[in-house]
Amino acid sequence: MTESGKVVVVACAGMDKPLGSVARDSVFKVVEELRPKEVELVSLPPLLAGVSSNSELVGNLPVITVDGCAERCATKLIVKNGGKIRGRVLVPDIAKKHNLLPESASHLGPNGERLAEIIAEEIASIVDRLVQGM
Amino acid sequence: MALIMNKVGIVSCSGEIPEGTISRIATRLVLEELRPDQTVTICLPLFLAGGEGERTFAKLFPTITVDGCEKRCAEIGTRTYSGKPFATIVVTDILKKCSKLNLKSRDKLSTDEWKFAEKVAEEIASKVDEALGRGKNANQE
Repeated sequence: MTESGKVVVVACAGMDKPLGSVARDSVFKVVEELRPKEVELVSLPPLLAGVSSNSELVGNLPVITVDGCAERCATKLIVKNGGKIRGRVLVPDIAKKHNLLPESASHLGPNGERLAEIIAEEIASIVDRLVQGM
Repeated sequence: MALIMNKVGIVSCSGEIPEGTISRIATRLVLEELRPDQTVTICLPLFLAGGEGERTFAKLFPTITVDGCEKRCAEIGTRTYSGKPFATIVVTDILKKCSKLNLKSRDKLSTDEWKFAEKVAEEIASKVDEALGRGKNANQE
């Protein structure tokens, strides 16, 4: 079990790609529905702009990054900020695996919603593994 | 060359709060519906991560930052890495003018929240027009 029983989840939330919106939607499902007690959601922009106190969370708890594109900004930025990444999810890989694509960045549509659910379940499974210390 | 000069970069906050969702949706409305030919989005995480293309664009072209809250991450990031934005918009400032609205959703907006996002989008579009030295209704020219 992790020290506090909590895991940090960070999503890329990129604006310019629909899969960034899927990444964002999926972490909301995790923190609001699937694992609300086990997950601390950390927003990247305030962390990086230096206007957030979340750097301590990122430094002390295991982190799962959820990236919406091959740039992998969430992963790179957490590494840059000294975070310990214990799980990584790359949305395009899962989209390809399940052949599901969102309609647009602003309207995920049924396929995008389903993709967000699948990714949320995958994140929740990583959370469980980390919390149980497996 | 003339075409690319008529672009404005919009940097939206994307924070995981309801105001961040309003920022994103309002920005998308501008990009997809209100001023599709005059605007591009600058991906804030990539911009902050050191994306050279995003930073160079923001140095060379006017930018409008759209922040969800007073932390003003988009504005601070833009000022730090590229320079002063042409205009800054903060969703909570606009929200103060709509005293009855209480933002709650961060994924699916209610009807009132959608209307509010449209209002924010109109304010962004108006700043786009100013940045390009145009009057209102730029898209109808």
